[in-house]
Amino acid sequence: MGGLVYIPVQNSEEEVRVALDQLPRDATDMIDILKAEQAPLHLWLIIAREYFKQGKIDQFRQILEEGSSPEIDEYYADVKYERIAILNALAAYYTYLGKIETKQRDKEEHFISATQYYNRASRIDPHELSTWIGKGQLYVAKGELQTASESFRIALVEDPNCVPALLGQACVDFNIAEREEHYKKAMDSYKSSLENYKRALQINPNCPASVRLGIGYCRYKLGQFEKARQSFQRVLQLDPENVEALVALGVMDLQTNEADGIRKGMEYMRRAFEIHPYCPMALNYLANHFFFTGQHFLVEQLTETALAVGSHGLMKAHSYYNLARSYHSKGDFEKALRYYMASVKETSKPQEFVLPYYGLGQVQLKLGDFRSSLSSFEKVLEVHPENCESLKVVGHIYSQLGEIEKAIETFRKATRIDPKDSGAFTELGELLIASDSGAALDALKTARNLLKKGGQELEIELLNNIGVLHFDKGDFELAEQTFKEALGDGIWLSLLTGSIESRVHSLQYRDFSLFHQLEEDSSCIVLPWDKVTTLFNYARLLEQLNDTGKASNLYRLILFKYPDYIDAYLRLAAMAKARNNIQLSIELINDALKVDDKCPDALCMLGDLELKIDDWLKAKDTFRAAKDATDGKDSYATLALGNWNYFAALRNEKRGPKLEATHLEKAKELYTKVLTQRPSNLYAANGSAIVLAEKGHFDVSKDIFTQVQEATSGSIFVQMPDVWVNLAHVYFAQGHFALAAKMYQNCLRKFYYNTDTQVLLYLARTHYEAEQWQDCKKTLLRAIHLAPSNYTLRFDAGVAMQKFSASTLQKTKRTADEVRSTVTELKNAVRVFSLLSTASSYLVYGFDEKKRETHVDYCKHLLEAAKVHCEAAEREEQQNRQRLEVARQVSLAEEARRKAEEHRKFQMEKRKQEDELKQVLQQEEHFERIKEQLKNSTIPGKRRERPQGEEEEGGDRKRRRGGGGGKRRRKEKKTKTRFEEEMEDEHEDMEEDRNALNDDDDDGAEKPQNDLVAAGLEDSDAEDDLGSAINRKRRAWSESDDDDEPSDKLHSRTTGQNLAEMDEEPDEIKAKGDHGDGEEDDD
Amino acid sequence: MKLAGLKSVENAHDESIWAAAWVPATDERPALLLTGSLDETVRMWRPDELAPVGSPCKGHALGVVSVAAHPSGAVAASSSIDGFIRVFDVDSYASIATLEASPSEVWSMQFDPKGTILAVAGGGGSTVKLWDTSTWQLVASFPVPRPDGAPPDKTGSSKFVLSVAWSPDGKRLACGSIDGTIAVFDVARAKFLHHLEGHNMPVRSMVFSPVDPRVLFTASDDTNIHMYDAEGKSLVGAMSGHSSWVLSVDASPDGTAIATGSSDRTVKLWDLSTRSAVQTMKNHSDQVWGVAFRPPGGSGVRVGRLASVSEDRSISLYDYS
Repeated sequence: MGGLVYIPVQNSEEEVRVALDQLPRDATDMIDILKAEQAPLHLWLIIAREYFKQGKIDQFRQILEEGSSPEIDEYYADVKYERIAILNALAAYYTYLGKIETKQRDKEEHFISATQYYNRASRIDPHELSTWIGKGQLYVAKGELQTASESFRIALVEDPNCVPALLGQACVDFNIAEREEHYKKAMDSYKSSLENYKRALQINPNCPASVRLGIGYCRYKLGQFEKARQSFQRVLQLDPENVEALVALGVMDLQTNEADGIRKGMEYMRRAFEIHPYCPMALNYLANHFFFTGQHFLVEQLTETALAVGSHGLMKAHSYYNLARSYHSKGDFEKALRYYMASVKETSKPQEFVLPYYGLGQVQLKLGDFRSSLSSFEKVLEVHPENCESLKVVGHIYSQLGEIEKAIETFRKATRIDPKDSGAFTELGELLIASDSGAALDALKTARNLLKKGGQELEIELLNNIGVLHFDKGDFELAEQTFKEALGDGIWLSLLTGSIESRVHSLQYRDFSLFHQLEEDSSCIVLPWDKVTTLFNYARLLEQLNDTGKASNLYRLILFKYPDYIDAYLRLAAMAKARNNIQLSIELINDALKVDDKCPDALCMLGDLELKIDDWLKAKDTFRAAKDATDGKDSYATLALGNWNYFAALRNEKRGPKLEATHLEKAKELYTKVLTQRPSNLYAANGSAIVLAEKGHFDVSKDIFTQVQEATSGSIFVQMPDVWVNLAHVYFAQGHFALAAKMYQNCLRKFYYNTDTQVLLYLARTHYEAEQWQDCKKTLLRAIHLAPSNYTLRFDAGVAMQKFSASTLQKTKRTADEVRSTVTELKNAVRVFSLLSTASSYLVYGFDEKKRETHVDYCKHLLEAAKVHCEAAEREEQQNRQRLEVARQVSLAEEARRKAEEHRKFQMEKRKQEDELKQVLQQEEHFERIKEQLKNSTIPGKRRERPQGEEEEGGDRKRRRGGGGGKRRRKEKKTKTRFEEEMEDEHEDMEEDRNALNDDDDDGAEKPQNDLVAAGLEDSDAEDDLGSAINRKRRAWSESDDDDEPSDKLHSRTTGQNLAEMDEEPDEIKAKGDHGDGEEDDD
Repeated sequence: MKLAGLKSVENAHDESIWAAAWVPATDERPALLLTGSLDETVRMWRPDELAPVGSPCKGHALGVVSVAAHPSGAVAASSSIDGFIRVFDVDSYASIATLEASPSEVWSMQFDPKGTILAVAGGGGSTVKLWDTSTWQLVASFPVPRPDGAPPDKTGSSKFVLSVAWSPDGKRLACGSIDGTIAVFDVARAKFLHHLEGHNMPVRSMVFSPVDPRVLFTASDDTNIHMYDAEGKSLVGAMSGHSSWVLSVDASPDGTAIATGSSDRTVKLWDLSTRSAVQTMKNHSDQVWGVAFRPPGGSGVRVGRLASVSEDRSISLYDYS
C-alpha cells in the first residue's frame, strides 16, 4: 500500500520523501515540515487523508485545521481549489461526526462546525461543485432534504455530469420518496432517484458497486422486483462480498414467502452474516427467521449482537422488536413488554416502525392494562387507519372498558373495511344485542353467511345468538330453525319428534325416570356442555309457542345431565305455576335452592308463590333473603318488598290509617330505591305511580303510567297489563268513564284474551258509574260465565239490575216497554239474590246475608211498585194511543176541510167563468151559494168544537198526571232517602265485592295447594273476621304485578346470562387470534 | 285429516255465543246446529248454508250457558245463568218442561247416549243432577267428593262442577270441576269411582272418545288438553299448543281426531295418532266457546262437519275430511 509523497523543498530541486505508511505519530512534525517547505496544499490534503485512513483522526484534523488557518489562507490566497478542498474535507468530517453523534446537542454543534467550513469554502469560490455537493450531504445528514436537493441541483447546473451530485440527488430523491406519504408522489420521487442513479452510472460506468445498489433499491421500491434483483446480483458480481446486496437479495427472497424463496433468502442472509457478522439488518432477518422456526435461543443471541453493533435507531427498534416478540411467544409477557417498550422508544414516530406498537398493545391487553393497550393500538391505527385487526382489538378494548358506543363504531368501521371478516361481524353483533337487536341480527347473520360461504364451521354461540334475536323479534319459526341448526344431532331430537314416548307424563316436572329408563335401555344420554345454553333457549322458545310438554322434557334433560342448572328448575317451576300447580312449583324452587340457597331468582319466585298461597309473613322473609343475597342490588327483590308493603297497606279491612301510611311510605321508599339504581325500571315506576295515585296525585301518576305504557309497547317480553289497568283506574277516578272503559277493554283484549274477570269487574264498575246499566250487566254476566264460582259477581249483577230498574222507574218519561223490561230485570235480580241465598247454605262467599236480604226485599218492593207503574204506564200508553187516534182523526178532518176549500175555490173560478157565459144556470148558481153557505156554517162549528175537546182532554190528562206525579213524588221522597242509603251501600258493596272477588278467585284456585299449616292459619283468620276478612289483597291495582313479572324477568335474566356466557368465549378466542395476527405484516 | 272453512255467519246472535250442539238428523230433516247466547236466545241453523231455522227461541233470562240435544233429534235442552233448564221440542220450539233443582246452578249438560237421562253439572252445588227424560223428574244427584288429601276448603267454591261427559256406552259419567279434578261415576250403581288428576285449573269441557269408552279428553284453563284412561285412572297424554284457556273440546265421529276451541281465538284440530295439532283455524276474533262435530246419520250425509261458535257473535262451519 504505502505510497510515497514528495514534498518539494523550498527554493531547491530537492524533495522530502514521505512514506505515507510511516507518517509520524505526532502531526505537528508533519505540519512543521509542510509549513517550513511551504508545501502545496494538495499535499496537506493527501497527508491528512492518509492520517484519516489510518484512523488517526486527531492528526487528520490537526493538519486540516492548520491547513485552513487564516495564516495559510493568506499565504496561499491564490490557491483556491486546494483551500476549498481542505475546508470541504473538514466540513465533511464534521458532517460525519454530526451524523453518527447520538446526543442531540453535540450533533448540532458538529453540524454547525460543518456549516461554517462549507460557508468558508463558498466564500472562496461560490461556484465550486464539491462545496455544493458537500453542503448537500450535510443537509442530507441534517435531514433537510429539500435544501439538500437544492444544493445538489446547483452543482448539477454547474456540471450536469457531476457524478457525486447526481448520486446525492438520487439519494435525496430516494429519501424524499421514503418520507412521502402520498403514494403517487413517492413513486415519482423513486423514479427520479432511479434516473439520477442511472445517469451517474452512464457517466461513470466504473463507479462503485454501491451505485448499483441504489438502482436496485429504487427499482425495488418501484415494484420492479426482477430488475431490482438483477441490479443486486450485478453488485454481487462486482463485489461478491457486498453485504447490502446480499441482504437486499435475501429480503427479496424472503418476501416471496415461499419455502424455496425463504430458503434462498436465508442463504443470502447467512452469507452476509459470514462476511460481516455485525450487519444488524442481516442479524435481524436471521433472528426473524429463527423466530418463526421457533429457535428462540438463536433469536436472542442474534438480536443481542445486532443491538450491540447497531447504532441506527430503526435497526435497534427491529432488534428489540424481535426480542420482544420472542418473549411474547414464549409467554413471558413482562419481558416482552419491556422490549416492546424499548423498541418503541427507538423510533421517534410510529410511522417508522409500527409493529412493536401492535405487539405492545397485545401484551398490555394481556396484562389487563386496557388504557395503555388502547393507546398503543391507536398508534397502529394512526399509521394504518384501515388495519382491521387493530380496529377489532380497539373495539374489543372499548367494549371491555364499557364504552360500548365507541366499540360499536369501531367494529362498524372494521366491517366496512373488510366486509368479509366474520369475526368482526360477530363481535359487532354481540355488542349491538343490548342496544339495537335488529342491527345485531343483521351483523350476526352476515357473520353466519360469511362463515358458511367460507365453508367454516359455525360456532354454536353465533347460531344461538341469532336464534335468541329472532326469538326476541318474535320470529319464532326462524328462531326454531336456528336453534335446531345450532343443536345439530342428539338425544333432544328424539325428544322433540316424540320418538321417545314418555310414559310418565310431562306434567311430572320433577320426574327423571324417563331419562333413567333411556340410559338403562342402552342409549347413553349425551349433552355437550356447549349446547346446554342453546337447548335451554330452545325450550324457552317451545314454551313461548305453548308447547309446554316438549319444553319440560328439554328442561328435564338439561337437569338430568346438569343438575346445577338453576334456570331450568326455575322455568319448570314457572310452568307449574302457570298451570296453577303451586305445590309442584314450590318443590321445584326448593330443588333450585338446594343447588344455591342464595339464588335471588329462586328466592324471589318462592316469595311470589308464598304470596299466592297467602303466606304473607313467609313471603316477606323470603323477599328479604333475596334482597340480602344480592346486597340489595337485585331490583326484583326490592320491588317485591315494595309490592308487599303496598298490599299490606291496603290489606286490612279496617284500614288503620297510620299503618296504611307507613306501609305506603315504605313501599314508595323501596320503589324509589329501585328507580335510583335502575332509572329505567318500569315496574318500579309503575309502583311509585300507584303510590302517588293512592295519595290522590292523579295527574302525576297518569303521566308516569302513560310513559311506562309507551315504554312497554313493542317488546314481546315486557308485557305490563297492570299499567293499562292502572291508567284506566286513574281515568276512572277522575271521572273519565268512557276513556277508562276503553282502556280496560283494550287491556283485556290485548293481554288476557278477554279472560280476566277482575278487569271485567273494573269495566262493569265503570259502566255502573257511568250509569250504563245494560253494559254493566252484560259485562258482569260475561265475568260470571268466565268465573262461575265467583258469587260476588252475581251479587253485583243483581245490584246492577236493581239499579237499572230503580233508575228507569225514576225517569219522568218512560214507555210501557221500558217498564216491562224493568219488571223483568227486577224479577231476574230477585232470582239472582235468592239463588245466592240458597247458595249461601253451602257456601261462604264473603258477604253479609242480611245485606242480601235487604236487597231482595228492596227488589220485591220495587217490583210491586213497578207493577203499579207498569199498569200506569200501560194505561198511559193506551191513552196516548187514543190521543194519537183523535189527533189522527183531527188531522184527517183538517185534510178534508182543506180539500173542500180547494174544491170550493176551484168551483168559484169555474162559476165566475160560467157566470159570464151562462145565465141560464143561475138557478143552479143560487143553489150552489146555498150549498156554500151551508159549508161555511158547518166548518166554524167544527172549529169551535175542537178546541173544547182538546182542552177537556188536556185538562183531564193534566189532572191525572198531576195526581200520579204527586203520588210518586211523595213516594220518591220516601224512597229517595232509601235510595241514597242504598246507593252508598251499593258503592261499598261494589268496593268490597271487588276485594272479595280477588280472594275468591285466588282462594278458589289455590286451595288444593295450600298446605295444612297455611290453611289452618287462614281458617282461623277467616273465623275471626268472616267474609270481610277475606279482603286480603284489596283492590288489584297491581295485583298482577307480581304475577306477571317473575316469568318475564326470569326470562330476560336468563337470556342475559346466556348471552353473557357466550360473550366470554369469543374473548378468549379473540385473544388467541390476536397472537397469531401480530406476526405477519413486514417490510 | 283436515278442516276446510265452509261458511261463517257474522252476528248470528245479538251477543256473545256461549254454547253449541248438533241436533241429530231425523227422518224429516237433516241435523241442525243449536246455539245459545248471552242475548238470552237459543237459535237453530241449517247444516250447510247456516240459514236460521225459525225465529229465535226466547224465554231465558241472563245468558244461555249450555245447550244439549237428545239423541233422537226431537228434543233439546238449554240452560242459563238464572238456573233454569228449558226443554223444548226441536221442530216446534214448543216448551216441554222447565227444570229447576234448587239450590243448584246449571252449567254444562248432556243427554246420555240412549237418551233416557239428562246429566247436568250443578255448579256450586258440587253435584251432578240426573233428570229422567220421560217424566222430567230429578232421579239422582251425585255428590262430587273432594280428592283425598286435598287441603280443607275455605269457601267451598273449589268444588264447583262445571262440565259433564257421558261415555259412549252410557256406563260412565265424568264430571269436571273448577279446581281441575275430574270425578268418574259408575252410573248404573250410582257410585263414585275415582278422581282423574293433572289439571289444576277449571275443566270447562270434556268428551269421551266415540270409539274407546275408556278414553276421555279434557279441556282446561291451563291451556292443555289431557287424554285420560278414565278406567285406569291414568293420564295417557297431554297436548299443549293453545296460548290461553281451552274452552271446548269435541271428538270427531271416527275417533281419530279432536277439535278444540280456546280463548286464544283459535280452533285447533289434533291428530290423535301423533297427539299434535295438525291445523289451527283463525276464523274468530274472540274466545271460541264451543266446537262441535256433527253426529253421523241422516240422509245424504257423508262428509264430516265441524261448527264453532265464539264470543264475537259468529258461527263458523268447516268441512272435516
